[in-house]
Amino acid sequence: MRRRILLIAVILLLFASSCRRANRPASAAAVPPPTQYELQLGKQVYQSYCIGCHGDSGAGDGFNAFSLDPHPRDLGDPVFQKGKSNADLADAIRRGGAGVGLTSLMPPWGHTLDDRHIDAVVLYIRSLRR
Amino acid sequence: MTLRRLFAFSSLVFLIVLAFSPVKNALRPYRALQRQFRLLGISRATSAKAREMYSSRPIAIEQIWLPELNDHVDRCTTCHLGVADAAMTGAPQPFRTHPPTFHTPQDIQRFGCTACHGGEGLATDQADAHGTSPDATTPIFPTDFVEAGCGRCHDADAVRDAPTLSSGRALMAKSNCFACHKARGHEDFRADAPPLDTLPMKTGAEWLRRWLTDPKAVDANATMPNFQLTGDDIKALSHYLFGRTVPPQLQHAIDLAGAEPPGDSARGKTLFAESRCISCHTVDGKGNGSAPELGKIASRASRGWLVAFVRDPHAFYPQTRMPRYSFTDADVRDIVAWFEDELRDFDAPANILVPLRVNQTFAEKGEKLFKSAGCFACHGGMKEGERFGPDLYGIGEKKATSLDFGKRTDLKRTLPAWLEAKISTPRSFATGLKMPTFAFDAAQKRAIVTALLAIPSTPVPDAYHSAPPQQAAIVPAGAVGEIMSRYRCLSCHQIGSRGGDISTAPLTFEGSKVNRDWLVRYLAVPYSIRPIIAERMPVLKVSKEEAALLADAIAMIYVDPSTPDDPFAGRPASDRDTAEGERLYTTFGCRSCHIIGKNGGYYGPPLTETHARLKPGWVFRFLQNPQRWRADVRCPNYGMTDTDALRLTAYLETLAEAPAPPVPGAGKEAVK
Repeated sequence: MRRRILLIAVILLLFASSCRRANRPASAAAVPPPTQYELQLGKQVYQSYCIGCHGDSGAGDGFNAFSLDPHPRDLGDPVFQKGKSNADLADAIRRGGAGVGLTSLMPPWGHTLDDRHIDAVVLYIRSLRR
Repeated sequence: MTLRRLFAFSSLVFLIVLAFSPVKNALRPYRALQRQFRLLGISRATSAKAREMYSSRPIAIEQIWLPELNDHVDRCTTCHLGVADAAMTGAPQPFRTHPPTFHTPQDIQRFGCTACHGGEGLATDQADAHGTSPDATTPIFPTDFVEAGCGRCHDADAVRDAPTLSSGRALMAKSNCFACHKARGHEDFRADAPPLDTLPMKTGAEWLRRWLTDPKAVDANATMPNFQLTGDDIKALSHYLFGRTVPPQLQHAIDLAGAEPPGDSARGKTLFAESRCISCHTVDGKGNGSAPELGKIASRASRGWLVAFVRDPHAFYPQTRMPRYSFTDADVRDIVAWFEDELRDFDAPANILVPLRVNQTFAEKGEKLFKSAGCFACHGGMKEGERFGPDLYGIGEKKATSLDFGKRTDLKRTLPAWLEAKISTPRSFATGLKMPTFAFDAAQKRAIVTALLAIPSTPVPDAYHSAPPQQAAIVPAGAVGEIMSRYRCLSCHQIGSRGGDISTAPLTFEGSKVNRDWLVRYLAVPYSIRPIIAERMPVLKVSKEEAALLADAIAMIYVDPSTPDDPFAGRPASDRDTAEGERLYTTFGCRSCHIIGKNGGYYGPPLTETHARLKPGWVFRFLQNPQRWRADVRCPNYGMTDTDALRLTAYLETLAEAPAPPVPGAGKEAVK
């Protein structure tokens, strides 16, 4: 009799522990990697609107860059990338240089691009980090 | 007694069987997932109300019913509980928020999930829902080909926000897939490969042998695929092609041109450069690449043929996109002289352009091959009902088990893998297959497979069907139409929904955009408005009379009624404040892309000549919304007020270069 109770108890315990594991919520902190579609969309936007000044690799060496003072931002710079949140980047794209207290040579894109295009291009800019 | 026992026993069995159903239901994986989601929601909730919402969530099947989409039912949200829940951004799958797209999150109730992603909407078990087994009817589109879903409803060649699908569709058209394969919407497709009847006077047997062996190796811009012909096949085809009769007038023209004295090569070089041939052609890989490579042209075609062709390409090749330049006879001689001096294959054997002496037996064999290999599908002669490739109707919904993998035991048994192998090495599946080999790279293959997966067996219901809006394309008849056809304006420019995409300037509303007198000068001697663009308007040698006629017609026909003639009419005088306009020019940072005087960037057109070139009403409307006429215009929309746009227009209108010389026909009343 005692052995049977023990057996049932063990089974119950195992069951409970397995339930606990299954139900434990995963950590919420991790930001998922961008989907291939988002990156592709971001790349398309970047190559349409940004490449002229910021260049193919984001180094600020587009064909239009030489005539600009201040020089276009090197988007691949790890220090710059680390210092700005996605929201900062999106804000600068949306409101332009003048909107965030920098040069007006960087135009505001908030009336031209949808929010999701801006978010996608931010993800693409993240992928340009050296 | 035995009977009673038996009854008791069977009742017990019955009860157990009966109990099995609810137990099975209670153990279904989605229930555990929903409990997991409940805890996840509670842990992520930021308010007591949200926490309450998650904890009171019933454990039940969720579904989206779409009565207008063939009574479609999607139960995907039974497990994918967070698709439209912003709090689930970055959550582990299956709970993660759907990434934002054109239709999500706002349209989830309208489209459900499987309309875009494929998969079996009714299933609540992962394997069935995603269709991972080979006999699944509608397996989910792999993420590589996710844009295929867009193409199920969107018919347009270019679908916004679906770059892979759009490039796949463009590639399929360019590769002439529909010349052999029937597909919905492409029933009238005609390949525009050149007619071959002047070939005997154009090239030599050795060049043709090289071309038929591998067109891409001869010309990187070639759209003709590799038919993997054997030496015997090539021999037979060559005899057939060299045995064709050249039409008498063309034969005469080629003979005469060939007998002309040699031209001035140095002058030809200059002419070639200023004619901007590389806006379509390439020379040693430099140029647009939508027309043949010219780096070795003199070893590809005979002198007489080249001279006669450049003088009148339309007589040789009626559907060509090449304009008929108004060159003088000497101009063409000079250009071809330069070809012969510089643009030749210096490694080619001396006999590269020596024609073949035709053997009738081989020629007859070649004629049969021309038909059986399918050459006629692109090179003319294809009649309706003769398309011999398998229909592409429903190719995107073929079951993996119904596909013939033939010799390809190495492939994954899925439709995308089969399609990709089909377009990579079509003849590897069995012997005797006809489809030629195209040289697509990995990205191009992915794009084409996406476009193929987008082809459903039955079109979506009208409520979900999205056809591109068709914009009227007016091309006048008569003298103007003839000029436009002669110079092939539509090869590069768009008019309404027709035309090519080489030029960034559609002509649809050109009459409201530019001043007539400027246009007359420009047509006679075009120059580069945006110097950074390699594809520049060719100097077509348009005569002054033609230019005036064309400019008058454009001013009259290609007009946008919503563009005012005088944007300042009825506005306060302060809207003409040019000083304020100049200040705005600086504030908006226009000079990062535009040049005024000596300062500014090279991205947009220089604005120094605004007054001469552009109409103020158009400038005003453009400043209000640069994407008004063409969605991919790069100039940002600054969300300007009308007053700001007018002031900036007023300032730009003050900019003018030295007065231009008078123009013939200027001030003449437009033809009524």
